[in-house]
Amino acid sequence: MREVLTVLSDMLRKGEITSQELTEKYISAVEEVNPQINAYVHTTFDFAREGAKKADEMLKAGNAGALCGIPMALKDNICSDGHLTTCCSKILRGFRPYYDSTVWSKLKSEGAVMLGKANMDEFAMGSTSESSCYGAPLNPRNTSHVTGGSSGGGAAAVCANIAAYSLGSDTGGSIRQPASYCGVVGLKPTYGAVSRYGLIAYGSSLDQIGPITNSVKDAALVFDAIRGVDENDDTSVDYNYGGPSANALTGDIKGLKIGVAEEYFDGINPEIKDAVMDAVKLYEKNGAEIINVRLPILKEAMPVYYIIACAEASSNLGRYDGIRYGYRADNYEDIDDMIYCTRSEGFGREVKHRIILGTYVLSSGYYDAYYKKACILRNNIIKRFDDIFNTCDVLIAPNAPTTAPKLGHHGASAVEMYLSDICTVPVNITGIPGISVPCGTDKAGLPIGMQILGKRFGENTILNAAYFYEKTAVSPVKEYEGGVRI
Amino acid sequence: MKYEMVCGMETHIELATKTKIFCGCTTEFGGAPNTHCCPVCTGQPGSLPILNRRVVEYAVRAGLAVNCKINNNSHMDRKNYVYPDLPKAYQISQFDEPICEHGYIELDSGKRIGITRIHIEEDAGKLVHEQGTTYIDYNRGGVPLIEIVSEPDISTPEEAREYAEKLQLIMRYVGISDCKMQEGSMRCDVNLSLRPVGTTEFGTRTETKNINSLSNIVKAMNREIERQEDILESGGHIVQATMRYDANTDEIYPMRTKENSDDYRYFPDPDILRFTIPQEFVDETKANLPELPSAKLRRYIDDMKLPESTARDIYKYRRVSEFLDDTVKKGANVKNTANLIIGGIYSTLETEEDKERFDIKITPEKMAGLVKLIDDKKINKNKGQETLMKMLESGDDVTKFIKAEDTAGMSDEDLAKICEAAVAANPDAVENVRNGRDKAINVIFGYVMRETRGKADMGKVNKIIRGLIG
Amino acid sequence: MALSKEDFDKLAVLSRLRFSPEEAEEFRNEMDDIIAFADTINNAVSGGTDDIKNTSVNAVAYTALREDAVRESLPNEKILSNVDGSRGFFNVKRCVK
Repeated sequence: MREVLTVLSDMLRKGEITSQELTEKYISAVEEVNPQINAYVHTTFDFAREGAKKADEMLKAGNAGALCGIPMALKDNICSDGHLTTCCSKILRGFRPYYDSTVWSKLKSEGAVMLGKANMDEFAMGSTSESSCYGAPLNPRNTSHVTGGSSGGGAAAVCANIAAYSLGSDTGGSIRQPASYCGVVGLKPTYGAVSRYGLIAYGSSLDQIGPITNSVKDAALVFDAIRGVDENDDTSVDYNYGGPSANALTGDIKGLKIGVAEEYFDGINPEIKDAVMDAVKLYEKNGAEIINVRLPILKEAMPVYYIIACAEASSNLGRYDGIRYGYRADNYEDIDDMIYCTRSEGFGREVKHRIILGTYVLSSGYYDAYYKKACILRNNIIKRFDDIFNTCDVLIAPNAPTTAPKLGHHGASAVEMYLSDICTVPVNITGIPGISVPCGTDKAGLPIGMQILGKRFGENTILNAAYFYEKTAVSPVKEYEGGVRI
Repeated sequence: MKYEMVCGMETHIELATKTKIFCGCTTEFGGAPNTHCCPVCTGQPGSLPILNRRVVEYAVRAGLAVNCKINNNSHMDRKNYVYPDLPKAYQISQFDEPICEHGYIELDSGKRIGITRIHIEEDAGKLVHEQGTTYIDYNRGGVPLIEIVSEPDISTPEEAREYAEKLQLIMRYVGISDCKMQEGSMRCDVNLSLRPVGTTEFGTRTETKNINSLSNIVKAMNREIERQEDILESGGHIVQATMRYDANTDEIYPMRTKENSDDYRYFPDPDILRFTIPQEFVDETKANLPELPSAKLRRYIDDMKLPESTARDIYKYRRVSEFLDDTVKKGANVKNTANLIIGGIYSTLETEEDKERFDIKITPEKMAGLVKLIDDKKINKNKGQETLMKMLESGDDVTKFIKAEDTAGMSDEDLAKICEAAVAANPDAVENVRNGRDKAINVIFGYVMRETRGKADMGKVNKIIRGLIG
Repeated sequence: MALSKEDFDKLAVLSRLRFSPEEAEEFRNEMDDIIAFADTINNAVSGGTDDIKNTSVNAVAYTALREDAVRESLPNEKILSNVDGSRGFFNVKRCVK
């Protein structure tokens, strides 16, 4: 695997290239490649050039961090002051936040260079990024296939080397699943490890920002830069990781207790199952202990997830009324009518679906049967995972039942699409961290992803387990031939 | 048929914190539109609320002051409804775990009005409609409120008024709000229904919202009772509705009903952690509560022996009562102090608001300095009042207006001499008094007061003069 | 359970969304599938407690809450930067269809 950030950081620090030169390379690459894959929906090249200039000054001054001067992308739901941030929804057309998200503010102060905002499912609601109002991003591995979602644009940009890394958000798998479809690394941190301030909310108790990168080491470096308690996010946690996670990567997995639950493999494409089980064997061969665990509760996770996510979304998305930002309908009778028209015209189909479902499960008469029940089951799932992590250090599972499907494939049934998230949602329900690493390709050459899950704030353990695999496995996925190659 | 009223009240009180409930914006009243705002209180996408600790502390104080039980665990809920003054389309409030529950307020009659709960929540912004355009200002959006919900224990409009008045005074005493109904920092909603006397089932109730003065509570309720009586008498049914009382026309009418019956879809706000209120903190707050209005009134009447009307005139303004207490602590006589406040200071404070604010130039120390001269009979009450007015004007100490020689003791012989001179100088008056026109004696008294510059003890003067006139 | 037309209409009002009759019908049918899917939680084997609060994070003592100290508000131009404001206000003009 290519440790892009380490390499670029070294080059920048040694003066082999300036951030401004590197940024121009990336800008050219975006201009060349993006029309083929639609990974970026807004570019901020002038801002990137300014950022690069500042980064060069920091580099010259010798106080630059690991990410200084390196061009990257933010998902289109992460706010940055003065730049379009639209959640790929018509309803946020033209919206420019007037404040920085905490993650961007941290990266900016480290000298990060933002190239633009990456494509995604509208309001992060989807698994293919096809609900974007700007059209779907295409999988650089095969452009007739989806990137996955919802952080599809960010995964595609990293895969196609038109962003050195990107930040995505993961509510039910939205970082890990597109990372696996595109053959890159995606880390969904522990709920509370990274501030959500400035992340436009979908499901507030599930959302978490995390990196999409070319390698595990890169993921650790970005995680180190963005994590930490934030006075602007009550749910952020002051956790002491005992130093940078990037320093915790030893590749030593001797004695690591790896849990494998057969329920995670139910209905999984055999090619994927084999690839992941091969990986498990590789761990075992190198001194890890494999423990078979049972997770019958897993099948409850999907409806629990959709009920909670949609309930929160229906409330979070109430604010898009055309009054303070974004789209406003052209024709209306009065203010009430304006709100109806704006919302009916501004939201896409899938978003309306989830708003209606969320409203339904919270409405009087149904609250107990759906929302409350889902919360109770959620607690049970949390307890079950706690139990498992009392005996196991990590869990290994596939990332998705299939590799990246063809564009338009999921159009048929909403429920079918929901079920494709089965492997990823338990992590969000329980708040634990999960990482997706490439683990081979299927017959069609599409990447397969393996998921490694850990206990809350167990990022170092899962990163190290992933790092071992990346170092040890034989060429899990080939490099994309395009974009900025180093 | 005769009907009786069943009524409960919901009272919203804006808390006097420095900052809003979920962000650091100021709560200061006024300001140009949308200048006390930030991403949080305007509901910018991606912004998150951070609960203000003082809001919790104030709610605990409010609850303890009205005999509530404080929940040691609490959390915030979202109340979802769409309205342009509510920027997130949900109000962050509390549903099933309010900070306070099960309290009461005791009326003068001894009757208790139960308090169901007190919870914290955020205020909405302000809408202005002008020629077809709606203008929206979010300066008030996010200002912290407590909502105090009473039991349906109120039986007359007068009880409702007294309940609200007591609540207002208590909240002012514990210092959590100025409770100005005109400015909207205290707003009352009245839930009211009628039922035939002797029955126990509740009738259909209406809610009259945002009544903006104590006297309007009574007026609005009287109108609503009449309205409901008329409907019931003519065989009609009361429709559950939200009413608005127009104080200018003294009319009550139903507000435009919304398309849907409200379904607020409360659920715990995932952005805000549950919080605990340790019992030690509750106990400490309770121990540190200031003397409450009812206790103060009892003390004024029972311990300090003030006449009830005087005691009430003082205790109903927190700052005044504190001023009185502090002045008495400095050694002044309570009755003389109270009389000077009511007879003197109040004459300079025209409105209720002025009295409530009690923005005067003299300190309790200075006040005590003056009152003690009266207590010691070194000056008389008239002189005291006159001097007080001068002190209130300039803020100066009493010594600036009354010199030491003015208050130096006057021997009885000196006083007798002056009295003799007064009688000699006013033969007409003496004649008149002897002829039974007793009022004429004031002319002679006036002479003595002029000569003694007001420091003569009128009791003695009266005795001497009458002796001389015979 | 299937979603009645009345129920759907009520949800649409609460959500401030409008649908054409055809759209509503199509949506309602799809919603039935989704609700049936959501209904599967009612077959869930696991029992549970009644405490639904605090699913992902622990409670904090009130002392950890934000201190009541003023932070400067943003200038009005920023607050209104995403709209055509008027005299410092957000505004919605009436306009005729």
